[in-house]
Amino acid sequence: MIPGDFQLQRPSRKKLMLLVLLGGVGLAAFAGIVLVAIFIISAWFGRPVIFGFDEGPAQPIAFPHTRHVEDLGLDCTFCHRNVEKGAAATIPSVGLCMTCHITVGDGLAEVEKLRATFEAGQAIDWVRVHRVPDHVHFVHEAHINRFSGTKQIVDDLSTGPDQIRLVDARKIEPSARVGETIDVAASQVCTICHGNVGAMTTVSQVRPLKMNDCVDCHRDNAAPTDCTTCHY
Amino acid sequence: MAGENWGMIVDVDKCIGCQACVVACQSENNIPINEEKHFNERRAIEWIRVERYWEGEFPDVKARFIPIMCQHCGDAPCEPVCPVFATYRNDEGLNVQIYNRCIGTRFCSNNCPYHVRFFNFWEPEWPESLHNQLNPDVTVRSRGIMEKCTFCIQRIRRTKRTASRAGADATDEEFERSLDPACVNACPTETLYFGDFNDPESKVSAMKEKESKRDGRAYTMLENLGTNPGVIYLKKIDKHAEDVAHG
Repeated sequence: MIPGDFQLQRPSRKKLMLLVLLGGVGLAAFAGIVLVAIFIISAWFGRPVIFGFDEGPAQPIAFPHTRHVEDLGLDCTFCHRNVEKGAAATIPSVGLCMTCHITVGDGLAEVEKLRATFEAGQAIDWVRVHRVPDHVHFVHEAHINRFSGTKQIVDDLSTGPDQIRLVDARKIEPSARVGETIDVAASQVCTICHGNVGAMTTVSQVRPLKMNDCVDCHRDNAAPTDCTTCHY
Repeated sequence: MAGENWGMIVDVDKCIGCQACVVACQSENNIPINEEKHFNERRAIEWIRVERYWEGEFPDVKARFIPIMCQHCGDAPCEPVCPVFATYRNDEGLNVQIYNRCIGTRFCSNNCPYHVRFFNFWEPEWPESLHNQLNPDVTVRSRGIMEKCTFCIQRIRRTKRTASRAGADATDEEFERSLDPACVNACPTETLYFGDFNDPESKVSAMKEKESKRDGRAYTMLENLGTNPGVIYLKKIDKHAEDVAHG
């Protein structure tokens, strides 16, 4: 051994145990911090990765979209009547529900709840699922009009007014291919952002609906990206 | 969407100082209620205000009124001082304020020569009975951000949507009332005119051209600062003005 050479002293057993213990505690703390960070970040992006709570909130009346859309074939616009005309899609009034349910659905618990609300002259206190912040002015009308009609499916990044991107077309018609034309009804446009609500028993949010989500789509579709398009 | 140059013409000769524009603006744009203490602290928020000046000595006294709102300057002093680009001139000729970007440095307000930018020193509050009168098309500004006249951009947006649904142009005459900002709508004497200066056929363009001639009445406020405002004032017609020293 060369004089002055560094030689590692083997630590005593007691010290070794202490180091192992400290290391274990440190590792656990680190793992905890990482877990919390991922939870916060993923919640921010609107897509919880670990604790996936994809179910939507419980509503005062368990309204089955499946029954109305899939089984009866109603259009979204039949109930959400303002969607082609204004900023808000609007939730139908109890009176509109009652045009059918005054005769339809005897003996169903949820329909009885609806009738009770109607008799009491009250509104249903639905829990809001899709919400953008107050400083965002989303307009349904413009988006419905942009995507409904006869559209040519393209794979470009900047689409013209008569074109639709493949990713969006696939959400409406899964077998869509580039180069085909597709007839999009107003009620089918909803799918692009809201997912297939017609197949949901409880409505849940399928897209993050954060600003990057909006801006990405606006860029891809050559829509205005000036701040005051939405923020005013 | 792009290509306009929205602007306003204020015919000072017609202004009677009734403050209808101020009230209309307050209710259209969800501006918090100004109480006496706010005025005493110089922290009242008025996107448009009517300034009053007394001229002459009693009994030969005249009241002069001039409505002042954000001038939507072409070379705005407020824009370059913002560290976060919360205010900028957009391609419609509007000087816009992006509330969610603003961090409340108040540099813009200090750099504005017209004093038309207002800071929210408090969380805005309305009495319970007024909660449902808030305009859903306008953001309620929270504490700590700057706000100012937007030329009622929510009305411009809405009119463009209505017009495109009808296959028409937003600047058509039938949409005039809907396009005009709340102050223009409310003015009983037609002091205020709103329109697109880039459209040579618009009413404001015609007025600007007519009044910018040698004997015209057009002027812009604090012209020597070179801010290139989008609001043009037409000066008061007063036969006696020449007699008064500062007329």
